Amino acid sequence: MSALIEIENLSVTFRQRGREVRAVRDVSFSVAARESFGLVGESGSGKSTILRAICGMAPVSGGSIRIGGAPAATGRAFAARVQMVFQDPYSSLHPRRTVDATLAEPLAIHGRGDRDARVLAALGDVGLDASFRFRYPHQLSGGQRQRVAIARALMLEPEILLLDEPTSALDASVQAEALNLLSRLRVERGLTFLMVSHDLAVIDHMCDAVAVMRDGAVVERLDRATLADGGAQEPYTRQLLAASAYAAPV
Amino acid sequence: MSGAQTKPFSRAWLLDPAPASRGQARLGQAYLGWLKLARNPLAVIGLAIVVALVAMAAAAPLLATHDPLAQSLQTRLLPPLSPGHWLGTDEFGRDIWSRLVYGARVTLYIVALVTVTAPVFGLLVGVVAGYFGGWVDTLLMRLTDIFLAFPRLILALAFVAALGPGIGNAVLAIALTAWPPYARVARAETLTVRGADYIAAVRLQGAGSGRILLSHVAPMCVPSVIVRVTLDMAGIILTAAGLGFLGLGAQPPLPEWGLMISSGRKFLFEQWWVATMPGLAIFIVSLGFNLLGDGLRDVLDPRSASK
Amino acid sequence: MSLLEVEDLRVTFDTEAGPVEAVRGVSFSLDRERLAIVGESGSGKTMTGRALLRLIRPPGRISARRIAFDGVDMMAASERQVRALRGRRIAMVMQDPKFSLNPVMRVGDQLTEGLRRRDRMGARSAREKAAAMLEAVQIREPDRVMHAYPHELSGGMGQRVMIAMMLIPGPDLLIADEPTSALDVTVQAEVLAILDNLVRERGMGLIFISHDLRLVSRFCDRVLVMYKGRVVEELAAGRLEDARHPYTRGLMACLPRIGGDRGPLPVLERDEAWAR
Repeated sequence: MSALIEIENLSVTFRQRGREVRAVRDVSFSVAARESFGLVGESGSGKSTILRAICGMAPVSGGSIRIGGAPAATGRAFAARVQMVFQDPYSSLHPRRTVDATLAEPLAIHGRGDRDARVLAALGDVGLDASFRFRYPHQLSGGQRQRVAIARALMLEPEILLLDEPTSALDASVQAEALNLLSRLRVERGLTFLMVSHDLAVIDHMCDAVAVMRDGAVVERLDRATLADGGAQEPYTRQLLAASAYAAPV
Repeated sequence: MSGAQTKPFSRAWLLDPAPASRGQARLGQAYLGWLKLARNPLAVIGLAIVVALVAMAAAAPLLATHDPLAQSLQTRLLPPLSPGHWLGTDEFGRDIWSRLVYGARVTLYIVALVTVTAPVFGLLVGVVAGYFGGWVDTLLMRLTDIFLAFPRLILALAFVAALGPGIGNAVLAIALTAWPPYARVARAETLTVRGADYIAAVRLQGAGSGRILLSHVAPMCVPSVIVRVTLDMAGIILTAAGLGFLGLGAQPPLPEWGLMISSGRKFLFEQWWVATMPGLAIFIVSLGFNLLGDGLRDVLDPRSASK
Repeated sequence: MSLLEVEDLRVTFDTEAGPVEAVRGVSFSLDRERLAIVGESGSGKTMTGRALLRLIRPPGRISARRIAFDGVDMMAASERQVRALRGRRIAMVMQDPKFSLNPVMRVGDQLTEGLRRRDRMGARSAREKAAAMLEAVQIREPDRVMHAYPHELSGGMGQRVMIAMMLIPGPDLLIADEPTSALDVTVQAEVLAILDNLVRERGMGLIFISHDLRLVSRFCDRVLVMYKGRVVEELAAGRLEDARHPYTRGLMACLPRIGGDRGPLPVLERDEAWAR
């Protein structure tokens, strides 16, 4: 049986002023249905570019991306299967639209009815009560905005959620709430996660397996058990590990 | 929640941070904008002038003391504060106050027509150019540049000369020359918005370009365009007056302000009021739109509103 | 005597809804050590750092029973005296170097500007001193960097340039506001090592403002935990695990740990009493 997300020898090349920048080099991995896979690395390592490439927002120069056996596409049918949650909740919500308008938009695009009930249900799912429905983004806190962004991604009931640093703009306590929400929704709806983060601890908490990226290539692959046992080999992975730990008690 | 306890349309109801319906949310936003505008005394003065202009145009038959077209050779060129003609009369003995009052209708007609055409067209051109980029952008923007390269009045003159004089053609000519700045403003705004995550998010939901442009990108450009329009309003009135002055806009005996200045020019040194009164009217209305535009900038600017 | 003593520092903003206190009675003292101020957004940590340099603009107001830097009463000092201290003896590094460097001036000119104007140093000796400082912050090709414009530098490089610029006058106190949050872990480690070195070798005092408890626990000596404008707990950085205050404990517990339990993370339950 083939995996739900299959990425084979993916390369992404940006052209900037005649210069070619290879943001992703020959990356391959696959994610089974209902699994959660993490990509960890620094900014510029190409991890977010992979997510964008899956959605057709980055120029793929080689390799293939397949979702459920079929090549990744754009358009409505694809949108109903794959959705994304962006890093910065301050820029991912339209500043002049209410929460209601933001959540109803995907339903309007796909011609789905019963919008009022669906919007209210979606708000409830992400732990916001109905009083938030007609607020504008600037009336919400960062954590509430990210909840709305998650609700928006789930409006079309997709199978796959691409998470691009969904909590890195949030305070630690708010991050915990957002991560708990994502975990709960994954179980309830049988979602498949592909999550990107620079924080190895967050990835470890959320994902079954992780690929460590640097300069556009995967340098190490680990599963959860290996990571917990300190089985990381690459010095770079160890640096990431050190960054997500407290000081040893004196 | 709190929406249930407050009286509809009361202050607390409007400022409720958790509105209970779409309408309440929208009214609340409008009320907040109004509060912001009301805090700026100059903007309130501007608004008062514009409201007065509209009232004057609407109630022209009530406010006018004479028929604006009625000529009377006995009462030619009476100075201001003459009995029965408090702003004086012109060379045909027509009452200047009544002509100004009816002239407000012409001015508003021109302003209204130009503002529903030029900004909308400019907005569409700018949004399309900014969003698609590439050759579409190059083509549309070079076209814009060509229009921008001509002085506005000269270009309007050329259009009117080709189309023939008359107020309708004057409006068309002004609209044709007024759109490029709006296209520029809208394009600049689109460029900053187009890469935003919230635009990427609707694209990921499968939205087509038309929907993205009209209901997601354009609303972000509208405030800057509206502000630009109110600031340009003075220029539009002046261009219309200029065309009237040159005999290419409104035709006599229509009481158009520019035309009135034009005819008063001949007596400027002896009977100064004939040209000065419509000149003052143009000045005050232009100032009003300008002040209002400045105030609206603070209210509508998305950067200040998002905070 | 301590390098810096702060007693009952308050920062108040006059808004339409009445005065809002962003910092509410913060007191601490600093020696030649690494002191961390930790808190979430809105805790007042950044305002505290800025208030120490009297860098709060109206409608904000600063009041304090005492802010003494090396014996100088900062509250009583004239604006001129404070300006003389700022930059020369007390320096501040901001989160994002992009907003702190002049974009149309070469890095070298920015670095030597102060030396030439304030210390009336010759062009050559000023450049030599600037280059030496760039080397001290682990920039390998100081000459190339001196000739570059800020936008030609990477984030990590820019932040190091900022730190070098702040350190050229040899300050006794450095206030660093999230100096490494915009940096990747590898660069972060280098920048921290540089700061560490300065505290150790030059006996500088460091106030390290951060939201990252894990980072602070590894890097600093002492930690002040702020919540809604107040210091709720002060403890040795290595002993964070012994924190008493429920807020500190909650903040630590809600961070996921590698190899930790996969169940829901404990969520911080805020108590009204903490802010009182």
